[in-house]
Parts: sequence; structure tokens; C-alpha cells
Amino acid sequence: MTEYAIDIVNVTKRYAEHAAVRDLTLRVPTGSVYGLLGPNGAGKTTTIRMILNIIAPDSGTIHIFGRPSSDPKVTERMGYLPEERGLYRKMQVKRVLKFLAELKGVKGSEAERRIDDWLERLSLKTAEKDWGLSKVDELSRGMQQKVQFIGTLLHDPDLVILDEPFSGLDPINAQALKDTVVELKKRGKTVIFSTHLMDNAERLCDSVCIIARGEKVLDGTVTGVKEEHGQRNVALALEGDGMQGIASILSDHSLVKRADDSNRFFEIELVPGGDPQTLLRRIVESGASVQRFEMIQPSLHEIFLKKVGATGIEEGMTGHG
Amino acid sequence: MAKLWAIIKREYVERVRSKWFVIATLFGPIFFSAIIIVPAWLSSRSKATSDIYNTTILDATANGFGHRLAINIAGDSTIPGRVPEVRVVAPSMLTRAESTATHEVMDKEKTGYVVVDQQTLAGESARYAGRNATSIADMAQIKSAIRETILASRLEKVGLDNSRMKEITFIPLDFSTERITEKGRVGSGIASVMFGFAIGFLLYASIVIYGQTIMSGVLEEKTTRVAEVVMSSVPTDTLLAGKVLGVGAVGLTQQIIWIVTTYVLLQLRAPIMARLGAPTMSFTLPDISLGAGLIFLLFFLFGFIFYSSLFAAVGSSVNSESEARQAASPLMIMIISTAVFIQPVLLNPTGTTARVLSLVPFSSPIIMPIRMAVIGIPPLELAASLGLLAVGCVAALWLASRIYRVGLLMYGKRPSIREMARWVSYSR
Repeated sequence: MTEYAIDIVNVTKRYAEHAAVRDLTLRVPTGSVYGLLGPNGAGKTTTIRMILNIIAPDSGTIHIFGRPSSDPKVTERMGYLPEERGLYRKMQVKRVLKFLAELKGVKGSEAERRIDDWLERLSLKTAEKDWGLSKVDELSRGMQQKVQFIGTLLHDPDLVILDEPFSGLDPINAQALKDTVVELKKRGKTVIFSTHLMDNAERLCDSVCIIARGEKVLDGTVTGVKEEHGQRNVALALEGDGMQGIASILSDHSLVKRADDSNRFFEIELVPGGDPQTLLRRIVESGASVQRFEMIQPSLHEIFLKKVGATGIEEGMTGHG
Repeated sequence: MAKLWAIIKREYVERVRSKWFVIATLFGPIFFSAIIIVPAWLSSRSKATSDIYNTTILDATANGFGHRLAINIAGDSTIPGRVPEVRVVAPSMLTRAESTATHEVMDKEKTGYVVVDQQTLAGESARYAGRNATSIADMAQIKSAIRETILASRLEKVGLDNSRMKEITFIPLDFSTERITEKGRVGSGIASVMFGFAIGFLLYASIVIYGQTIMSGVLEEKTTRVAEVVMSSVPTDTLLAGKVLGVGAVGLTQQIIWIVTTYVLLQLRAPIMARLGAPTMSFTLPDISLGAGLIFLLFFLFGFIFYSSLFAAVGSSVNSESEARQAASPLMIMIISTAVFIQPVLLNPTGTTARVLSLVPFSSPIIMPIRMAVIGIPPLELAASLGLLAVGCVAALWLASRIYRVGLLMYGKRPSIREMARWVSYSR
């Protein structure tokens, strides 16, 4: 049971006008970086709020580390960074952080030690200036983002939930966030984040789930999803003008479905079940000199567009997150 | 429980540290001592000032009326400088004499002048003109001196001499008032009305101030999304309870400071009044027993919970300060319409209006303590009032917590009443 950090089974949440989440089943393996992808209004935030027990599902079950999500013990193991961010503006940074830590059950003195560590680590506390003693509204936006990030991680959660973490981040903080996600994974923590930025998801995630209109479209490991949903294309470039020599191979419809001349290389689509190794061997045997032979995988972005489609995005634009 | 405590602590510490708290807390005692000391000082002002001695009497009676009047105005003619100057003028010269006197007043040599003539002797009219013409006490003093002088000349005519006349007309009446309840005499009536007013004002002010404090606090948490982080750590009911209790504790702290400093100021009243040059008056505060004090406290707490939970619900349902002000107007109307009744209730604390308002939960936390300050309330009525208020509190908390937990997560347009009613029915 505990091999899953999050185990969502047949969860539905409806509001008066519509179902925000419909019959969603989702499993996040412990220790993975998991991306929840979908257009705005697809139900990502609702799903995250249900995981965090901020709202309760109408039906279905949610287990976190094998316990029901309403279990207070589970709450303390989760860290959450909401999509739009802010802090108590008039409060001193250290006191805000201590308050957030106390809400997660971290004792005062321990919280203070960790706060100092984190402030130094994110260079909010230097020899010249300790921003921890400033009020929140004296900090720049970027610094506030760092403070909020500290607040999310201060109690060393086993499951970190980030709602659209990259929106509004400056490039430096975005990089810091990516580094931290990688580090958390190394320490065996589970990270789940929602995003509509496929590039980030593709780079960071082990597994993803694409949802649209409150329903799961597909899920699985990133490589699995790509294999399952991508075409198996090969980029081929030969030295010199040797394409004539392999023309017979390219027109063999038991192996090649289609070959496009993309100017600098040929993009070859194999027939279903066609083995790229066979293709490579036959080209080499034909005496052609191979400059490039590369499996092209579709990006998550392409898969996303193909599965959700422009209509899905548009329909999903309205309503509750 | 530790988390509830963390929320209470944050609400309390952050607010008590704010400069507005410090300013308001300092302002309280100044205000309360002002409403106690200023009326007393004003009433001391109602005794005539020394201005009346520096006047001119223009006597056109031709029978020495002016000199007798001067002695009556002086009261004690042995004190130097007290007797007003008398100028005997012929009626035909009166206009010119008045003009001279007017210039003397304008040049601040004199405060004013009195004109007495045949009509004054007949008891019909007299005139005064001067800088202190608006001083009720000064005018009353001069008027009564004139009456006394007329009376004296009439008595003289029927054969009564001046010294006998003094004996007869001298009535130094000191009219004091005292209140009686079923417990017996309980001090000055004025004092307990003032005390009742102070209680009413205190309750009204803290409900309005701290209710709105909670409302904008909730709104801040919502707009900054801190609420979502907190809600991922504690149940919303805990958050709501923590806010109400934390801010309530701030209000209580402030009131305790207000009450203690006001009490100290009252004890120091005599020296302060002496400094102001006013005579000290005997002033006993109504005796408040420990039991009554506890009941006051209960009314404050219940009233505070009732209103502040509703203010929190309003804060959670809107997205900006201006929306909040609009959405809070029904609550403000409830409070202000209660405050409007403070004075009528003080004037007639046993009337039907007073009795009804002290049973209705939205007005009872203000009206009942006021009535308790001025009259004795039958225990049954008190119990009914507290009981209804407690029921009101539970209902308000139930409603507020349901609006609160949905409202905090709803962004965008301000909800209609119907939408809010639907929120109440949401499971969570």
C-alpha cells in the first residue's frame, strides 16, 4: 500500500453547475516526481485541494502514504505551495515562517534553527543583511517567493505539492526550484506539481497524468507515455548524396510507412512493429555512410495537444480550477 | 490543539504589536476620563465666573437701584474689586453712556454692562451687553441679582429692612441626586447613567472595531492565498476558532487596560480637578459585584463571537476591501441600530423596547449590560437573555463556518445571497 505516496480511487467532486473532477483514479509512486498536466480549469487545483484535504471528494477515496487523507498525521507530512502566492504582508519574515512551521507541528526552537538554515541557503541571510528580520512587504517579489518556498519545505515534508510552481518565477528562482525538486527526489521525497508548461514537466517528471475537463486523459511514466502515444520516427542523414542507394529500402512498405525529406535529414515513420535496428542494419549493409540515425520521440507537448486537442483546452478554460 | 494555539498566538501577538493597537489603547483612557471629567468640569463652569464683577452698571432709575444691584452682583462686597462700577445717568443721556460702555468692552477694559431703568424697577425688563453674553451661568447670576434687587426694593416699600430681606431671600440650595434599586441606595444617578453609557460604548466600539479587524484579516488571508496554506495544515473550523479567540483576546486585553487606567484616573480625579481649578464633587461609581462583572464578561464574549464570526464569513466571501464594506453593511446596520437605542434605553431601562432589545441576540450584548448598569435585572430575564444569545452564537458560528470554508476558496465574482445559501449546504 505504501508504495504509493498518493492513491486516488474513483474520486468525483462536483459543484452546483458542473463536475470539477470526474471518476479520477491516480497513483503516485513514493519517491517520484509527478506532473499533473492539463489546461486551465481541467481540475488540477481541485484534485490538489482534495489531496490536501482542504476539500472533501463527493465520492471515491484518497489515501496518502496508506492513510486516509483526513488523518492529521498525514497533513504534517505534506508541504503545499499554492498557485497564486502571498504571505502576511505586515509580518516579520521569521515569524511568518515560524507560524507556518508550527502549523505543521514543528516545535519553536527547532523551527528557528531550520529557518536560519534555509534563509542562509537561499541567500536571504547574508553577512550584511538578514531579511528574516524584515517585514514581508519590504522584500522583493522574488525574495517573497523564496520565503514562501521555505515555508513549504520547513517541516521537511515527505510529499511536496506544488500548484503551478513556475508561474511568475523569475529565471533564477525557477532554476533554484528545479534544483530543489531534483534534490528532494534524491532524498527520497515525493514531489507532485501541476503545470501547463510541458517543457518543465518533460524535464523534471518521472511520471505524468494529463487531465482535461475533470477526467484523466492518460497517465504513466514519461517514457512509457511517449512510447505508447508517440509515433516511432527516425531521423536519418547520410554523408554525401547517397539517398539513391537506399531508395529501395525506404520504399519497402513492410518496414517503412512513410519517408519525408526534411531538407537536412529524412524523417522516416516506421510501420507499426517495425524495428528501427533492422532499418539501420539494412542501410549500413547497403554501403551508405550514416551521419545521423536517431529515434525521434514526440514531446509531451505534442502528445498533450493530440490527446486534449484545441477544443479541450478551450472548453476547459472556464469554470473552477 | 497546538495548532489552534499557534493561530491564536499569531492573531494576538501580531495585533498587540501593531501601532494601531497602541494608539487605540492609549486613546481609550483619555476618552473615558474625558467623558467623566469634562461634564464635571463643565458643571463647575456652570457656577458664574469672575467676569461678572468687571461690569459697568448704567443706572437710569434715579433712585440708587444701581448701587444696590452692584452689591448683590458682588455677593460679598468686602472682597476688593468685586463690586461693579455704577454710573448714574439721566435717561436722555443713556444712549451716549451705552456707546461709551460698548467701547470699553470692545477695548477689553470691561466684560460688559447692565442697563437698569424705570422698566427694571417695574420688574419688566433689563438689558445686558458684553463678551460673556453667551455664558449661561454668568447671565443667570446677573439676572438673579437684578431680581433680588427688585425684590429688595419692593420689600423695602412695604417696610422690610435690607438685612431682614437678605435673611429671607438667601437660599443656598444644593440639589444632589441618588439612585435607589431593590438593593438599596447605589450612589449618584448621573454616575450610573454615565457608567451605563461607558459600558455600552465600550461594547459597541469593540464589536465594531474587532469585528472589522477579523473581517479584513480573513480577507487578507484569502487574497494572499495564505488561507490555502493554512487550510492544508489545519481544519477550517480550527482556523476560524483561532481567529475569533485570538482577536477576542486582543479586544479583552484592550478593555482591561482601558478599565484599569480609567479606574486609576478616577481615583486621581480629585487632584486632576483641582488642577483644572474646578471644585471636586463627590462621585461614587456604582458598586459592581464580581458576579455582575462576570456576567458583563459573558455578554462581551458572546456578543463578540456572534458578530466576529459573521464578520469572518463576510470577509471570506468577498475579494476586496470595497466589496467587504458593502457586504458587511447588513451587519453594520444591526450594530448601529442597536447603538441608536443606547440613549433611549438609558432613559427608560424598564420599558418594552429595552426589554425586547435585551432579549434579541444581535442587540442584547450591548443593551443588557447597559440596563444592568442602571437597574437591577430579574435573574430570569438575565438567564433568558444569555440563553438566547448563546443560541444565537451557535447559529452564527454554524452559518459562518460553512460560508467560511467554501468562501475562502472561491475567487472571482462576489457571490449572491443565493450562492452563499448554496455554500451552506455544501458538505465541504
